[in-house]
Amino acid sequence: MTHIIREIYSVFHELGFEFAEGPELETEFNNFDALNMPKDHPARDMQDTFWLKQDKDADPRLLLRTHTSSVQIRHMMAGKPPYRIVVPGKVFRNEATDATHEAQFYQVEVLCVDKDISLADLKGTLEYFFRKLFGDDVEIRFRPSFFPFVEPGVEVDMRWKNKWLEMGGAGLVHPHVLTSVGVDPTEWSGFAWGIGIDRLALLKYGIDDVRHIYNGDLRLIDQF
Amino acid sequence: MKISHAWLQQYFRDTLPTAEKLAELFTFHSFEIEDIEDVNNGAHCEKVIDAKILPDRAHFCLSYRGIAEEVKVLTGMEYTDTVKSDYHGGHCKMDIDAGVTPVTVSIEASSFCRRYVARKVTGVEVKASSEKFKTFLESVGSRSISTIVDATNIAMFDYGQPLHVFDADKTIGVIVVRAAMDGEMITLLDDREVLLTSNDFVIADDEGPLAIAGVKGGKRAEVDATTKNIIIESANFEPTAVRKTSTKYNLRNESSKRFENEITPEWAMDGMCRVSALIHTFSPNAVFGPITDIYPYPVAMTIVVTTVEFINKKLGIVIPTEKIKEILKSFSIGIEEKENELVLTIPYHRFDLRIPEDIVEEVGRIYGYEKIEGTKQSVISSSISTHPSFYITEHIKNILVDLGFSESYLYTFVAKGDSEVAYPLASDKKALRTTLSDGIEKALDTNARNADFLFLDSIKMFEIGKVFTKKGEHTSLCIGIRRVKKVKGQSANEDIKQTRETLLQTLGVDVATACTIDDTGGSMLLKGKQIGIINTIEGVLELDLDALISAITTVGIPLYESIGFGPSPKFFYKSFSTYPFIVRDIAIFVPDSVKSDEIESIITSNGTALLLKHKLFDTFQKDGKTSYAFRMIFQSFERTLTDDEINTTMAVIADKMKGKSWEVR
Repeated sequence: MTHIIREIYSVFHELGFEFAEGPELETEFNNFDALNMPKDHPARDMQDTFWLKQDKDADPRLLLRTHTSSVQIRHMMAGKPPYRIVVPGKVFRNEATDATHEAQFYQVEVLCVDKDISLADLKGTLEYFFRKLFGDDVEIRFRPSFFPFVEPGVEVDMRWKNKWLEMGGAGLVHPHVLTSVGVDPTEWSGFAWGIGIDRLALLKYGIDDVRHIYNGDLRLIDQF
Repeated sequence: MKISHAWLQQYFRDTLPTAEKLAELFTFHSFEIEDIEDVNNGAHCEKVIDAKILPDRAHFCLSYRGIAEEVKVLTGMEYTDTVKSDYHGGHCKMDIDAGVTPVTVSIEASSFCRRYVARKVTGVEVKASSEKFKTFLESVGSRSISTIVDATNIAMFDYGQPLHVFDADKTIGVIVVRAAMDGEMITLLDDREVLLTSNDFVIADDEGPLAIAGVKGGKRAEVDATTKNIIIESANFEPTAVRKTSTKYNLRNESSKRFENEITPEWAMDGMCRVSALIHTFSPNAVFGPITDIYPYPVAMTIVVTTVEFINKKLGIVIPTEKIKEILKSFSIGIEEKENELVLTIPYHRFDLRIPEDIVEEVGRIYGYEKIEGTKQSVISSSISTHPSFYITEHIKNILVDLGFSESYLYTFVAKGDSEVAYPLASDKKALRTTLSDGIEKALDTNARNADFLFLDSIKMFEIGKVFTKKGEHTSLCIGIRRVKKVKGQSANEDIKQTRETLLQTLGVDVATACTIDDTGGSMLLKGKQIGIINTIEGVLELDLDALISAITTVGIPLYESIGFGPSPKFFYKSFSTYPFIVRDIAIFVPDSVKSDEIESIITSNGTALLLKHKLFDTFQKDGKTSYAFRMIFQSFERTLTDDEINTTMAVIADKMKGKSWEVR
């Protein structure tokens, strides 16, 4: 995990992205509301959440972050644009575990906010990244998708060893997200992309069961 | 949403592309396809496309006519809506019999119920549906119940409008849409009893609730085989309230799903017409009463103003203006050009088109994202601010790895802690860890059992991760050592001391330790404040990493270049067997002239496929002879090995060696 995070960071470092991080225990606002996922919206179903046991009228309501996107909010609120960040971190989803899914896993997210950012910039950045990680001959394509915090929203696929593989979700930052952190969406625009790091590790190192990553088994770890 | 290829064909006069071809078009222009299923219905095999409709397109794509519109746009085929002309057309107000009394409806919950369309139908026949309709319902994952109930479901799949029928003779007085009263009970169609609260909404008559609005019908006015007269409801309800109620009572279904994703009230009349037409087909002698339509605030169409320049700038390509207009028109979006602005009138059902960015997506996905060329990136390597705590953390990892430690990433969820989650996966995973030590201790136990397998004399591990105490969240560092091979006068606690000292020295940080003389327990102190605990668990140290990092001055922050960022080592994981392994040692005396390679080759060539690995672990010379000791690990990927079979293998190896006149000790 450390190896792959360092490699991811180094590639985005070359592109001028800086490291950012945030807490795993998040507020409902940073994890959902500010990301254009209002309360009781069906979009929240897309991410099964671990809510903290709290008093009924506790404010803020706390949860284990379901994605690293909450760090986007913290970072943008803390300073002025432009922003270029790369955010690796642990996230949590309340779902049954199997060989490719865990209730806790690592995600990496990049956010770029500047003048006139387009889907072509997103595609170029991801091509640069995936070619560094998986070789110069990989190709990238987008498929339409939906994530509340981006518009347009796309799924990213990578063609590697003659196979198309799903490589996370992305899109242009939704103007509601920029507005919620006090950035003027008519002046600034941006893209965001996120993926499970476990998935990158599984592909890059050929690990067959994601659960091996989290049980501290040296039969796995000492192979590195 | 399950899309039956055969059912969808009814919307088109021309032959549709194959299911596979449609699935491909959907994948790259509309939504994700989970699967194409072959549904065998006896006579022939039918293709059903399973589409994953996400909340942005759920407003209209949870219906065949929404899907048909996508197909029309993607293929350029003419969308004829034969379904509509067959059953609907001018029939909506079909043969209205003034003798049938109109349904009296009262909407008390006006912000919840946006529209209520109802009509009474008399003289219906309730019987089994024909094969065609049964097959369709089954192919989309539904179940045929009776002609009348099936008509409501088929109309819902076709037009996206949930519908409900009541047995008119079982209702008393006026139909009211209102909030439930706290403590009010309803018995549902499946006999389940639900105790309602004032946050829920019901359809009621003078007696009490008939249905939970938009969610589930009640038993009292159920349509059954004896039903003759019915009241049809085609209504529009507020999404959030439906969602709250359906979630609370675990009653999510095809109806609640459509309401909670929001559908336009404009569809309520379409739904009524479609279901009426179906009932007319199923029950030709039925007599249709006049339609009651309560729709106090008809919705207006949304206007979105954008420009061709904006669309192209966001996509990063140049699409000709005419092409953009053609795409938008194909979705029945009205276009008015004002100077260089496009003033777009959005069809009622497209809640996903509200802002210019939504239009960007609409144009981009239909035009094709594959036409976007990635922008070449200019590499910027300087002037990026470094992140001290990240760099220091990585530096600490390097120090520990150099000292022979392995890093682990363990679970956050544990059995006991200061904070608990509301719906845990399991009772032993209900709390957030307050320390890393317990996890490391367990990992040491597990790995100690595999120490022979790993050829390790001691297990050395560490973790850096978040812990959650009463004071909140902080980053912790835990280091654990377990000695597998005991050596007199040495201990894991002793090893922890050395590691700790090396670490603090390398980091150049002023942390004091207060320990018992033999290091069996103690504290780490930063400016008199405890930041770490030493060896409370044998050979385990844990400290507050945030506090430690705060004590490191800027001089102590490592440089980017010194950390080893960059490509990870070339490596490909080898899966390991989870069956038990067997360890065997062999020691032989050989003449000095014999090299260890020669012995090794006997071991590898006779060890069979079950010999996983081996290692030379001891050598000494005596009287012109050399002793070599090898350790061998046997393991299978398929089964648990027996001692007997390995003994046989060992005997073969020993015999080969004896055959060389070597002394097997």
